Order: sequence, then C-alpha cells, then structure tokens
Amino acid sequence: MKQDLLNAAVIIKLEPDFSEGNVSYNSDGTLNRAETKNILGPHSAIACNAAFYCRVKYGAHVSIGTMGPPIAESALKQAQMLSDAEELNLYSDRLFAGADTLATAQVLKNGIEKMFGGNKIDIVFSGHRASDGETGQTGPQTAWKLGYTFLGNVIDFDIDLDRKVVFAKRLISLQGMDTIIEEIESPLPVFITIDPSYRSIFNSISQRLSANTFSKEAKKHSQDYRQYLKIFDSKKLELDPKLVGLPGSPTIVYKVEKIPRAKTSRKAQIVIPSNPNNLTPVIEKIIQTVRGK
Amino acid sequence: MKLSNSTIQETNSNTNEKYRHIYVIIEHFEGQVVPVSLEMLGEARRLMDDFNRKYDSTEKVVAVVLGSNVRKLCEELVTYGADSVIHANHEELKYPRNDIDTKVIVQIAKDARIINEISPEYSSTFVRPRYLFFAADNIGRHLSSTVLAELESGLASDINKLVISDLDIRHEHKTKGQTVKYEKILEMYRPDFSGFLWTTILCLDNKNPENLREYHPQGCSIIPGAFKPFEKDNLRKGKIVEYSPKIDQDPKIKIINRRVVKRTIDYETSKVIVSFGRGIKASPEQNIKLVEEFAELLGAEIGITLPLSKKPYQLSQNMDSKYMIPDRVIGTSGSKVAPTLYVAIGLSGAVQHVAGMKDSEVVISINTDENSPIIDESDIFIKGRLEDVVPMLIDQIKKQIAAISLRSN
Repeated sequence: MKQDLLNAAVIIKLEPDFSEGNVSYNSDGTLNRAETKNILGPHSAIACNAAFYCRVKYGAHVSIGTMGPPIAESALKQAQMLSDAEELNLYSDRLFAGADTLATAQVLKNGIEKMFGGNKIDIVFSGHRASDGETGQTGPQTAWKLGYTFLGNVIDFDIDLDRKVVFAKRLISLQGMDTIIEEIESPLPVFITIDPSYRSIFNSISQRLSANTFSKEAKKHSQDYRQYLKIFDSKKLELDPKLVGLPGSPTIVYKVEKIPRAKTSRKAQIVIPSNPNNLTPVIEKIIQTVRGK
Repeated sequence: MKLSNSTIQETNSNTNEKYRHIYVIIEHFEGQVVPVSLEMLGEARRLMDDFNRKYDSTEKVVAVVLGSNVRKLCEELVTYGADSVIHANHEELKYPRNDIDTKVIVQIAKDARIINEISPEYSSTFVRPRYLFFAADNIGRHLSSTVLAELESGLASDINKLVISDLDIRHEHKTKGQTVKYEKILEMYRPDFSGFLWTTILCLDNKNPENLREYHPQGCSIIPGAFKPFEKDNLRKGKIVEYSPKIDQDPKIKIINRRVVKRTIDYETSKVIVSFGRGIKASPEQNIKLVEEFAELLGAEIGITLPLSKKPYQLSQNMDSKYMIPDRVIGTSGSKVAPTLYVAIGLSGAVQHVAGMKDSEVVISINTDENSPIIDESDIFIKGRLEDVVPMLIDQIKKQIAAISLRSN
C-alpha cells in the first residue's frame, strides 16, 4: 500500500563536460564552448541518484524536469538511466532565452506543478550547483516559489512515509569555523539540494536486489526514452510571458572581461621529467628548502 | 518611443526615497561573527562613504543580525563599520534555518518602522533596501536565493568586486533598445569557474514602457575572503534597533542534533604547502591520494584552488569534506600564505590564486601546459602530468631521505 505514496522529482541541467579529454580550453584559460561536449551535469547526476534511492527504498515514482533547448533531451535520457524515471519533461521555448535564475525558477516551478498530470510532488531534488552557471540559486528559488521547505547541503536523508516526514543530515562549513553536521526533521513536501558527497547506500539484500532490478529496467527504458518524453512550451506551462526569459529577469550580464594577469615576478627553470634523473635538482631544492639550509 | 529626460529624473528622485541603504546579512557561530560578515561590512562601509560623498546623501550601512540574545555581538558590528544594527531577537533564531530566516529578513526589508529609527526623514516613503549583501557560503547562498525570490528582485552570486556607478544602458528588453541612464547601480563582478573571466551582473529596473517594473533591492552574495574588514574602531557610534520578529508557531524545520567537527587546517605555521587544482580531474580520488602522500612526506599542509571548493567532482564523503572546502582555498578568496616551499600541482595560476601564494619563498609547480600563468610565479616548473610527476618525486624523496638518514647514522 505504501508503494504508491511518494512522488519524487529531479531538476537537472545539461552542462559542459569538464572531464579530461572532453573539455577544451582556449589559450587564455577560458572554456571553449564550441569544442566542449555537453552532458548531464555531475551534480544533476547525484540528484538523480538520490531519486533512485527513493525509487528503490520507497517505490517512489520519479519525474525529471529540465529547462533548455531541444538538445537537453540527451541529459534527460542520461537522468532516466540513473533514476528509472517514468516521466521526462523538457521545458523549451524561445521565450525562455536569456532567463536569469529567478525567471528560470518560475519555469521550473510551473513545470514541477504539472508533473504526473498535476499530482503533487512530495520531494524534489536538485544538484548543489551547475558546473558552468554555478550560481547555486535556482534550486532554492524554485523551492521558494513552490512553497516547499528548502533543505540545502544534504548529505543523507530518509523518509518516514507514515508521518510524511523527512530526516536529513546537512553539512555546513563556514569560513574559519568548525564544520557542523546538522540533523533535521521536516514535513513533506521538501526541496532538497544534494551535497556532492552524498552516496546512496542500500543496506539490505532485498534493497540491493531491487536496486539491481530497477537499474536494469532504467537502462532498458532509457533506450526508448522518447516514449517518456513530454515537451512543454510557455503556453502549456501556463506561464505569464512577463515572468520568463528576459522580461522576467531582474538581472542582466553587463559585460564579460578577462581578469588581468598578475605581473611576472619569477623566472622559472623548466624541467621536463622524461628521465627521472632530470628531477634530481628539484629533489635537492625541495630537501634543502624543507631542511632550511 | 523615446523616454524623455524629465520622466527619467522623476523616477530617480522617487527611487531615492523608496529605496535606501545597504543591508548586510550577518552570520555568526557560537557567539562569533563569521569573518566574511565583517568583510562585507567593510566593503559596504567603503561603498557607502563614496556613495554619500558622490551623491551628497546620507544613506547608511545597516547590519541585520538574526539570533537569540546576541546584543553584544551587535554592538561589536558598530565598531566594524555599521551605522545601525537590527537585532532580530527570538529563541527560534538561535541557529540558522532557511525557512524562518527568509521570512524574518523579508519582514525586516519591508519594515518602514525600523527606518523610523534609522533615518526618520524617509520612514513614510521607504519601501525596501537599495542594496542587500549576503555571504556566498553554505548559509548565505541559499538564504540570498530564497529572500530575493520572495522579494522578487535580482541576485548575483559569488561576487569579489563591487562598484556603484551611473550607467548608460541599452538593452533589448530593459530599455527596449533605447539608451537610458540608470543611477546608483551596483556593478557586481563574479569570477567564472575558470578564474580567468569576470562577468559583471546588474540588477536593473525594467524601463521598457511595455513592462515597467522596479527591482530592488539589488542583491548579491559575496565570496569569503574577497574584501578587507573595516579597521575596528571602538569609538564609532551606531544605533542598535531591537526587533521582535513574527515567527510561525510551528517552524517546519526542526533541528534534532548539531555536531561540530573540529577544524584542523593550519597554514600559518606550515613551512611547506602543497596545493592542487583542476589538474586532478582525470581521476580526482586517486590524484588527491597522491597529493596526500607527497604532502605527508614533506610534512606539508594541503591547499586547493577556488574552483575546487565549488565541488566539481564526485568524491568519497571523507575526502570531499576534508579537502573540497572553502577553508582550504588559497587565494584572495581564501587564505594568503607565505611558506618556505609552495608546491602547485595541476593548477593554472588564476590571478586570484597567485595573489594568495606569491609571497612564498620557493615555488615549484607541476603542470602540463607551459603557457599556464603559474609559470610566471614559479622558480621551478615541471612540465608533465601530475599522475607521472608526483610518484617520481615521492619515490626520489624517499630514497634521498633514506640516504640522508643512513649518512647521519
């Protein structure tokens, strides 16, 4: 009976792939966007893992949402593979272009409200922050617009389905202060941003077996992901055009400039360690310096 | 359609009565103000002094403190540059909680009665603060987002430079393609993920006749370490405003337990510091282990670059909470260090990083790219992948140490 009690959502983002071999930088150190592939962002992937945990442990239904151009479909497919989502939602409209975080949050809010045909979502996950835009604001702003309780920096969580309550552990580190691990309790619905150190742990044999089954199922479904895909434009999302895209964005990007390079103050000796012996002078320098000679 | 000058002037004088002051949201922990809060106050003080001189005005730096009986701390903030401190006092505010804190800050931002105590001449016209500062940390990042979502205004995150100026703006939507003068705009500079580009974000009213809308406060979150605090002046006078917030009977988030994990990083007394950057990306976990082994051999403390504190990689929880944290950041946004030996591993040397380590006595860097700026700050530059070079160094140092100890025997 409990099996149908939980609806979970994940908000994801298609991002440049910063991993070795895929990322390309210009000679001035800036990202070469044209040469860099796009993938499901690594923080989005962790949020998908959290939803998958709900799928396995609580039999949750999972729905994924993303705002972006049509190519963001590929991120939805990868997200489905990780989470065994039953619904993939792409919010795509020219009117959304140029949106800042507030205007993006507005789209995501309306999108989440339309998931599973308007059935209420109990728990929403999003990544800690995007690797490229990286403001970390979209999650909490979406939560606030939805009227959901926002829980950030969550490293672990569990849900009491009978009481409709979530228990979460949060990691808080502040400049110059000791780190705090906080355990909290909050009624559903909640919006959680998952800390990158989150790991889903399935601690019983039955959970591990069921994780295995769901995972296989997810792979199969994602081969055929278009069957699960729904595309929404601003009309379908019933969005006021004044609240999205440029009209709904309080902020603008005024200019982008290179941060001036620091003045050269040393002349480096260049060592190419093709042979370990080339490093001998370096080792000597290190040992001398450390021993204060 | 061209907006006439008189219309624009009118809007501005109006804005000056409606939107006033910089509000700074203060964070504290076990009776201590988090350093970034003092840094924000210092920057707010400098900005406001210039502002008042330039515009012949009397706007204030207002610190906002949420807590349970922390008046002492509020008094301290005056000595660090605040003109007024709003002390929102309630036992439910003992620890930060996003939902409650958001509501309290929004109440304060909209409360004209408070202004009656801060600048009475504007209490009947005041609508909201002009500028609103938060810390870009685990608390302020989310709090700034939810507060600005509720206030429906603009927010820029992770700022390390601020300028207030009058700008001629021409924007497709904001001004409908016309050039319009905006006054007292906060230019919010944020370094991008690479540390090589600065993006300036502005929060601007819509002056498009088809979609007129005012966006205040202009909000931002500020990177810890980016600004200098105001030099403490015990003689400074300021006003503490006691404020009793309205708080829901039953707060949704209940704190069951709080555990403190002691901080152990020490850059001050370390003779050797080994730092790493995005060069670890091919296999972060293993590469950090290599760095650990190398650092241990040298008795070194470990540092990171700013982008890593934003957690770009998935690591084990232990490693993540140990290394990928703001406290490890070397640079203007973290610690400034000056060890005898600084080893820079797989980091490119963004300006903000170099500023934090350039006073080191000897600098050795390991990098695949000879064009990386770190070369200009190195005495020795080892060209190669850290995966190849670090094990060689470990190996040879071990041999040397063995040889030295044999000789001294």
